[in-house]
Amino acid sequence: MGALTAEPVAAAASGLAARLAGVTVEVRGRGRDSSAGAPAGAGVVWRADGLILTNAHVAKGAVSIVLPDRRVLPARLVARDVEQDLAALVVEATGLSAAEIGDSDALRVGELVLAVGNPLGIVRALSAGLVHATGRRFIEADLRLAPGNSGGPLADARGRVVGLNAMIVGGLAVAVPSRAGWRFVRERLAG
Amino acid sequence: MDTLQSLSNDLAAAVERVAPAVVAVHARRRLPSTGIHWQPGVVVTAEHTVRTAEDITVTMADGRSLPAVLAGRDPGTDLAVLRVADAGSVTAVPGDDAALRVGHMVLAVGYGPRASWGVISALGPRWRSWRGGDIDRLVRLDLVLYPGFSGGPLVDAAGRVVGLNTSGLARETRLALPVTLVKRVTDELLRKGHVSRGYLGLGMQPVRLPEPLAAQLGLGPGGLIVVMVEPSGPAARAGVLLGDVLVALNGAPVGDLDDVQARLGSDRVGVEIPAIVLRGGVRTDLRITVGEQPRRRG
Repeated sequence: MGALTAEPVAAAASGLAARLAGVTVEVRGRGRDSSAGAPAGAGVVWRADGLILTNAHVAKGAVSIVLPDRRVLPARLVARDVEQDLAALVVEATGLSAAEIGDSDALRVGELVLAVGNPLGIVRALSAGLVHATGRRFIEADLRLAPGNSGGPLADARGRVVGLNAMIVGGLAVAVPSRAGWRFVRERLAG
Repeated sequence: MDTLQSLSNDLAAAVERVAPAVVAVHARRRLPSTGIHWQPGVVVTAEHTVRTAEDITVTMADGRSLPAVLAGRDPGTDLAVLRVADAGSVTAVPGDDAALRVGHMVLAVGYGPRASWGVISALGPRWRSWRGGDIDRLVRLDLVLYPGFSGGPLVDAAGRVVGLNTSGLARETRLALPVTLVKRVTDELLRKGHVSRGYLGLGMQPVRLPEPLAAQLGLGPGGLIVVMVEPSGPAARAGVLLGDVLVALNGAPVGDLDDVQARLGSDRVGVEIPAIVLRGGVRTDLRITVGEQPRRRG
């Protein structure tokens, strides 16, 4: 016990944080600075061919994406659903490292979760917490988020993305489940 | 398996282990609080969340809604005990609060179940709550107690109950009542419906003793001067007079009212204990049979 367990846990967590940061993008909107745009939130590289999933409220007015390798690419909004707070953006790129998508329905209360985003402008910052409650429309997590986390990944202890962080309600992180993401991509981006 | 995954599985398993004994207590308007199915037919919760003595219901983990009867309450320690018929036999597994260490990972569980994660942030000695209860040990938490979490269990990484969470005894900090205290108070509430406290029938104020006198006695630097003696109260019957200075009770020096209260726990009621008073500067030994503090009505 003691350090024998805690050290590998810490090492595993930092490895996972790096992996998640590698699939998290910055979403930028129209800003006064016309070159890069104003920070709007975060997004998840859903597919290697340039499909980015984020929240509808982040994608509204999105003009560009900053990839983990710092490349700035123009973004095109291809689908948006305000009800589910989901949106799909496409960038002209191939061979991106895409997130491994997990099953949000398999989450258990008490399970560890990690979030990566750009809270308060801090790029690809990590928060750790656990699943607070399941069985509702959204995932609730006991985890500290801040504005800028929106659209970024919520991942389980294996690094599989189980949701997109969407809002903070009563101190809880509220995320759109990955199942809703699957369905959204299947239904709205068919063909 | 990956260490992070096995930790994650352990935490989820801890929640699943305690969850069948976590109930919702409907004893106030709007938001229910949480309760622990403590022993078959007995639910413990935070006293401050019980705002009504009638029409209390409990929602068990399996979704059944059952009527509950208030068996007893102790505002001092913020504990209330409910009797619930047909509650089943799935009760919480108590852990060892003496083994708690600062930095230990713990979970607070609310009805649902809902979970909150954190660590023991500080441990302290026996303390007295602002509501007058004697709490064996201070257990301070670094975690969020979400609305409705008061009365719910604090569990260790194995899902054993080490405390009962409450936001009713401190405004800013998050506290848990140690499970040893919960057990003791619950037993007493089931037996008597209230927690009795020892009573002397004295009004006292702390005073400093002249140094030569204090040195000669070899006790503390101060005592308590008696400013009121309840006629025929426990102390009056033992011969305590107005103006006496109480310097020791049950073999230990007393310098303030907390010292006195600490020696008048419920196990002292009806017991004869030795007392030392100074009368006109001279040591006088007395024996007081501790009474029971009269209860406030309502």
